[in-house]
Amino acid sequence: MKFADFVVPEAIRADLAAEDKEEVIREMVQSLQNSGGIDSDEFESIVKAILKREELGSTGIGRGVAVPHTKHPSVDRLVGTVAVSSEGVDFDSLDGEKVYLFFLLISPPDRPGDHLRALENISRQLRDDTFCRFLKQSKTAEDIRQLLEEADNNQFGS
Amino acid sequence: MSQPKATRTVTIVNPEGLHARAATLVAGTVRRFQAKVELIKGRQRVEATDVLQMLSLGAGEGEQLQLEALGSDAEAALDAVTELFSSKFGENAE
Repeated sequence: MKFADFVVPEAIRADLAAEDKEEVIREMVQSLQNSGGIDSDEFESIVKAILKREELGSTGIGRGVAVPHTKHPSVDRLVGTVAVSSEGVDFDSLDGEKVYLFFLLISPPDRPGDHLRALENISRQLRDDTFCRFLKQSKTAEDIRQLLEEADNNQFGS
Repeated sequence: MSQPKATRTVTIVNPEGLHARAATLVAGTVRRFQAKVELIKGRQRVEATDVLQMLSLGAGEGEQLQLEALGSDAEAALDAVTELFSSKFGENAE
């Protein structure tokens, strides 16, 4: 499950304005909507579902990374996007640290395997410090797109 | 004097596999113990306190993992982790 298989390139955001968890999620889902990744009718329902999932336990998994996500019946394949916050956002992370890198995933309800494989790829790439560092330093969406492509081409240790 | 070591094999029985919430629960549980706990899948060996490492296993339903713990409460640590796997990480909630 490469990044190219699920990340909507036009929805990538290099500098999130959001300052808290809900704003981050809204901003990223809005990006997905603007780029046609999701239906505008489903915006609130998706945001609500992602926030509900956060209540079960923060998806701030440590090391400045969060993977907010939900299953949703309106998508027939996994869609996602990536965003970077230069200031960092408090996300109730496991390690208590701010989050700078966000990978948002929306998956169809009946395909847990796709979601798991996406998480596997995301986490594998993030275990490479260079990849993490470059991502955090990204200035534009194009920078991020290129990094994801390089990661897909195995240019970072994995 | 070597530290007590414990090993177990667990099978993933929940449909979502070892996803973010499950891995977070494992990390939180393991932190309560002194023992150092690792999960092994094939040639991959990861720390059970590190969610990112655990997610990189991409361990799905039906797969088996080995658990290894080293420390005075190794057995208790693995009891607790095994329980998480067999209770499907309380998966009715999701």
